[in-house]
Formats: sequence, structure tokens, C-alpha cells
Amino acid sequence: MGSYIVRRLFIAVPVFFGITVLSFLIMNLAPGNPVDMLINPNIPKELLELKREKLGLNDPLYVQYANWLGGILRGDLGYSFSSYAPVSELIGKRIGPTLLLAAASLLIGLLIAIPVGVISAVKRNSKLDYFLTGMTFLGISIPPFFLGLGLIYITGIQLKWLPTGGISTLGGDGGTGDVLLHMILPVTVLGAAIAGKKVRYVRASMLEVLDQDFLRTARAKGLRELVVTNKHALRNALIPVIAVVGAEIPLLLGGSIVIEQVFQWPGIGQLTMEAILSRDYPVLMGLNLIAACVVLLINLFTDVLYAAADPRITYG
Amino acid sequence: MNRYRRLSLLIISTAAILLLAACSQSSEANKGTQNQPTQQATTKVAQGKKKLTIGIVNAPVTLNQINTQDNSASLAPIGLLNDALLDVTESAEFIPKLAESIKTKDKLNYTIKLRPDAKWNDGTPFTTADVAFTLKLALHADVETSFKLNFIEGLNDFGKLGKGVKEIAGLHVIDKHTFEIKAKTPIDPLVFNERFGAKVYYLPEHLLKDVDPAKLSTHPYFQKPDVTNGPYRFAAYEQGQYVELTKNEKYYLGAPKIDSIFFKVLPAANLVAQLQTGEVHMNSLPVGLVPITDYDKVKSFDNVNVTSASASEPAELFFNVEKLPNKKVRQAIAYALNRPLIVEQLLKGQAEIIDGGIPSSHPYFNKDITPYPYDPEKAKQLLQEAGFDSSRKLAFLIPIGNKVREQAADILVQNLEAVGLQIDVQQYDFPTLIDKVEKGEHDITIFTRDYYIEPSLYFTTYKSDDPESVIRYNNPVVDELIAQGEQEIDEAKRHEIYNRLQEVLHEDVPTLAVYSEKRLQVVSKDVLAGKPLNVGTFNNVNEWDLAVK
Repeated sequence: MGSYIVRRLFIAVPVFFGITVLSFLIMNLAPGNPVDMLINPNIPKELLELKREKLGLNDPLYVQYANWLGGILRGDLGYSFSSYAPVSELIGKRIGPTLLLAAASLLIGLLIAIPVGVISAVKRNSKLDYFLTGMTFLGISIPPFFLGLGLIYITGIQLKWLPTGGISTLGGDGGTGDVLLHMILPVTVLGAAIAGKKVRYVRASMLEVLDQDFLRTARAKGLRELVVTNKHALRNALIPVIAVVGAEIPLLLGGSIVIEQVFQWPGIGQLTMEAILSRDYPVLMGLNLIAACVVLLINLFTDVLYAAADPRITYG
Repeated sequence: MNRYRRLSLLIISTAAILLLAACSQSSEANKGTQNQPTQQATTKVAQGKKKLTIGIVNAPVTLNQINTQDNSASLAPIGLLNDALLDVTESAEFIPKLAESIKTKDKLNYTIKLRPDAKWNDGTPFTTADVAFTLKLALHADVETSFKLNFIEGLNDFGKLGKGVKEIAGLHVIDKHTFEIKAKTPIDPLVFNERFGAKVYYLPEHLLKDVDPAKLSTHPYFQKPDVTNGPYRFAAYEQGQYVELTKNEKYYLGAPKIDSIFFKVLPAANLVAQLQTGEVHMNSLPVGLVPITDYDKVKSFDNVNVTSASASEPAELFFNVEKLPNKKVRQAIAYALNRPLIVEQLLKGQAEIIDGGIPSSHPYFNKDITPYPYDPEKAKQLLQEAGFDSSRKLAFLIPIGNKVREQAADILVQNLEAVGLQIDVQQYDFPTLIDKVEKGEHDITIFTRDYYIEPSLYFTTYKSDDPESVIRYNNPVVDELIAQGEQEIDEAKRHEIYNRLQEVLHEDVPTLAVYSEKRLQVVSKDVLAGKPLNVGTFNNVNEWDLAVK
């Protein structure tokens, strides 16, 4: 197993550089550059040119990339073009809130999805199943930003129960309770979206397992139905779900952009949005780097988990 | 069985690791901010303190007072942290701040006297040494700055010192509180006051004297500028979320009454909601606009006062004159637009119609120009006279981000199609739009320029010598008038020149203003004194006050 992981890590290195080259190229193909943001008849062209020169935007692409890569190898992610803050600091500040939001939403999502999926499969084609499938469908089809705005309107503005955005009260103590209160709405929205998607996987996977012979054997041995479903069926059904959940994590890190915008959640998503709109290349590259690492590690982790869970797979 | 146990263990541990990682990360992040003494001070006695929250929609990008990048969102907190020599009021008057007086006899040599009691918030006196230090550093060839001081003797055309030059020829320090600035040629005091008096902020020499100019922009001071000379001092800055400022007890004009001010970054829709819930006390202009479409709604809140500022810098159409060379076509477009409808319906009457880019409240606005009326028949006739090929599609590039402007553009497109023009609407984010416009891919585009007290800045865009100009306009008469206007220092003559210039531009229509919005100033009734100003600054903030609940 150890050598398998090491080999996978070695393969990850060229993949990783491939990702950085591609993202660097795509980023630079997008029209507009950081200096364009400053266009203003008030600023002489010469000054813009000077800025372009200082930021290295006049260098050929491969030189820009090499400079960036050189920095990475020295452990330096560079400085933001707009705020001149170190990129590592910008990302460092934002990664915590995003991880918190992602982990909590994933946990809530799975806590809903697994039981609902199982019940739905066990009671297939019953009224309960139809109801649950209907709710799931609703969960998938309501766009998260819409649900978010609706919840803000009802619980934040009309009822004044919950804060409408941010991670803590401005000027408050920033304590755990305060953060938890601010988490309720975004976690609900993201958790609902995750649950919606996962219920279908759990249900499908469970249905497949329920039909299999070994369960009939288990029942024939006289095991109670609850034991059959929860111990034998569920554990087998969850194996393919692992892969899907693994794939969800990188999506959660990058894909919560909309939710972070709606709730002004100070995470990676919001930072990405700002960096894209101002064409802040060093910040974007830093974010890409983190995302690539996360995807590669999660994939590796999922594969190992999968192999550990399913005896039919051997470390190759 | 054993294998299943292993699996469930793995699942549980995965979830646990993720959660742990998240928790430890976020508690670290919290620790970071709590360790700052100022933050802790505000938390401890949070109750009895006066806290004012100002809502802004765009996030400030920098707190660097010598390189604000002309970012309007950054100017708001920077203006509370730092004082300039002069302050600008809403009616574009200058009032003294760090300077006791600015005098000139010949419009060439300006003598500035600093207030003897001005000081940094660490108690160090603010003197001419700081002025000289800041100017030499900011204008150094390797330093980026937003100062526009190219009129000072010894600086090159774009306002910087040459390579290796360390001294500014036009700067003479006389004593600790007096210095002189010499211009290359005589310069209108209005221009001097705006560009030098109001827009130059200073750096503390005692803190930064040993910094390498080439590495200045990334110096930690600019991430946490804790020594400044304004009414408020830096407390915390979370990019994209908020800037927290606390009062400067040692402020030379008297300690502020409000203990801390928050600039809170939030989307426009949330801004309205939080003004209603009282989480935000006032909006900031021009980066914290309450959408004018919400006018009736905001008016109905009983916890706020709503006023309209004077008409601001207009959303303006910029024609690509190379592609639309016939002025009859451009005039036809001016006649075709139903601007009264936009003002009445979309902007609820809270706007004004003018043709040029200079707002009507500006001292150099030409009041004698009558805007083109809405007359689609006249437009059709002009298009016919010009022999315009009606099968040609006009590329209309619209930047996204400002909802009202987007909706107005929709109406404009309908108006143009109604007179028989074919419009190809393209919407882009701003950097993309600018890239395309610089390459000349547009026929028409729309955006809003900044407010300039100095009138010549409104006209640089019409000069013919700029190959990347948005409008690619070439008119020798206009070039001549622009040059005259820049050199003229007699105010009455300058007015004449600029009036004439605006007439020519009105006739030629290289650009056309669509509407000048009267921005809404929404202020909570809890605020006893203080309101946002149209020009994006705040005056006499140390005298602002808040009712204690």
C-alpha cells in the first residue's frame, strides 16, 4: 500500500505541472489584464506602461510562467497585483472559512442523504419513496443562490432571526456561537444541494445491492430485516458513494463561489471571484495551485479508500 | 466483518479530519485578528461604544495612501485614515486641513504653511520633513504612485523623477512648517488645490525612512498602516469583508466622537436590506450606491433619512469615430434615444439629462447647451441624409456590474432599433470590455467617467494623438482648444475656452451623456451628524456623532 501511494504521488507531479501550465495559458488568453482595470483618462499612458513593465506583463508568457514557477519552488506565491498583499496570506485567511463551510455542509448533506436514500430504496415505489424522491428533486432543481436569497429574506429580513451574511458580527467577539449562527443559512443551502445530489446515488446503489443474492442468503439465515439493510446492504452500497463524495470535495472548495457571494462568506470562492474580475494573476495562480493540490490529494485519498473498502480492487 | 469495520472507520476518520482541519484553520484565523490590541480593546467594552457602519458595494483593494490606484472603494477608508493639506466639500470648495494656508502671487510659486499642531497618531509632529520625504519617495522612478504632479518643476511629463534623480527641483523646504512648490508654468490655483492640496497623502518619515524604494509597495506598512495622520486609525482589514477604523485620540482637530467606523462590503441588494435592519448606518458614494430602482422602497423605511445628491457624473456613450465618421449618424443616435423615459421610469425622476460628460454641478459646465431632444423622425431623416447603410450591424459593448446602466442600455438598444439601426449587443466584464474597446472592436460603448474638479481632465480623451483612445477622435479645432484650455490660467478666459469646446463637442457628438444620476444618500436616523458626499469623501468626520441606544 505504501509503495502504491508513493507511486501515485510521483505520477501526480507531472500532472500537477500540466495543470499549472494549462491554467496559466487559459488565464492569459482571457482578454484584459490587471492594468486595464485602471483605464482612466486621468492616468497617463506612460504610467500604465510603467506599471505593465513593473508587473512583468510585457515579458513573453514563458518568462512570466518561469518567474512564477521559480517563486513557487522557493515557497513564494508572490504578491497580489492590486493590494500587494502576499498571496499566501490572502489565501491562508480564506481557506479556513471555506473548509469550515465545506466540511459542515458535507457532513449535514451526508447525514441527510444516507438515511433518506436508504429509506427511499427499502420502501421503493411506496408513497414515502415518491415523497422523498420528490423532495430530492426539488432540492436539486432549486438553484442554491435562489434558495439562499429566499432564506435571507425570510429569516434575516422579515423575522430577523439570523444574520444575513458574513462569518461573524462586525465588532462583535467573533466567538464560536456567533460563527455558528452565521453558518446556519449557508450550511443549510449547501447541505441541501449536496443531500439532493447524493440521495439519488445512495438510493440507486442501495437498490442494486438489495437485489443481490448474498442478502437473500442473509435473510434466509433468519437475520432481522434491519440488520440486513443496515449492516450488510448499506455497507456494500456505500462503496460507490465514496468515490462520488470524494469528487464532491474539490467541487465544494471551488464551487461554493455563488454561495459565498450570496452570504458574503469570506472564503476562497469570494477571493476567486474578486481575483478574476480584477485579473489578479498571482492570486488566481495561487488559487489554482491549491485547487490542483486538493483535487490530486482527494483523488488519491478516494482511490486508497476505495481499494481499502472493496476487496475486488488490488493496489496495482 | 473486519473489512466493514475498517471501512466505517475510514469514513468516520475522513469526516473527522476534514472537520478538524477546518476548525483548526478557522480558529487560527480568529486568533490572528484577536491578537491585535485594538481589536481586543473594542471587544471588551463593546457595549457603551459608538460604532458606525458604512455600507460599500465594491471592496477596497488597497490602503496605500500614495498609490490608491484611483480605486473609489479604497479612497473611502484611506480618506479617514489620512488627512491631505485640504479637504473638498460637496460643493467643490476647499477647506484647510493639514495646511493652514496655501498662497500664491504669480500662480507659479505656491507657499504652503502647515498647521503647527498637526501630528501623526503616535504623537510625532507632522512637519515639512514628512512632506519632502513622501514626495521624494512617491515620485522616485521605481515607485508606483497615483499622484498626478507633472506640473511641478523637475518632474517629467508623467509626473515622476528621472532615473537616479533624488531631489525635486520645484520643492523648497523653508522651515519645519513652511514649504514652497514651484510649477513649470503658471497653474490655476484650482488645479493646484485639487492635485496637490486634496489628493496627496503623506507617509511617516520616522517609520519608513530606511525602506528600499523598489520594495516599497510590498512593505508590511501598507497592509497595516497603523501610523497615519487622519481622524481615524487602522484597526483591521479583511479583504472583501470590511475595514475597521478606531478613533485617533490624538487627532489635531479634536478627538472624534464616534469610537469606531466599519466599512462593510456587501452586495447592493443586501445593502438595502441592512439599511432597513439597521446593521448599516449609511451608504457610501459612489461605491455604495443604493440602486435607484429601490428608491420607493428605501423612502418607505422609517429608520432612515433619504436625500438625493446633486446630479453626478453621467453614464456616457462613447462612439468609435473611426467606424462612425459621419457626424450626422452620431447626431441621429442622439435624437433617437428616449432619455426622458429612462429618467422618468427607470430612475424615478432622480436624474438629469445633459449631453456632455461634465456634470451640471461642475463650475465649468456649459449651461447654454440644450440637450438633443427625443425625436425619432429627425433621427431617421438624418440617417437617410447620411446615406447610412441600414444593413450594417453596430456593435454596442456594455459592461456588466451596474444594473441601472444595463437596464438603461436595454432601452437605448430598443430606441436605436426603432429608427432602423441594427444593434449587436455584447456584454462583458470591465477588463474584457476595455481590452476590446482599446482594439477598436466597438461601434458604441457605455461607461461612466470619474469626477474631476480640474476641467481639462474631461477633455484628454478627445485628443487626436492617442492611438488607443476609446473614441479615436480627430478634430484639429478640438485639439487646439484643449491645448489652450490647459495653458490658460485666467479663470474667465478658461471658462470661455471650455464653453466653446463643449459647444464643438456637442455639435460633433463623439460622446453623448445618457443620464446623470442623483445618487441616494441614505443615513440612519441614529446618526446625529454626518453623511456621505457625492464625490466619494467625507468631511469633518471627527465631528460626526451617533445616538447611543
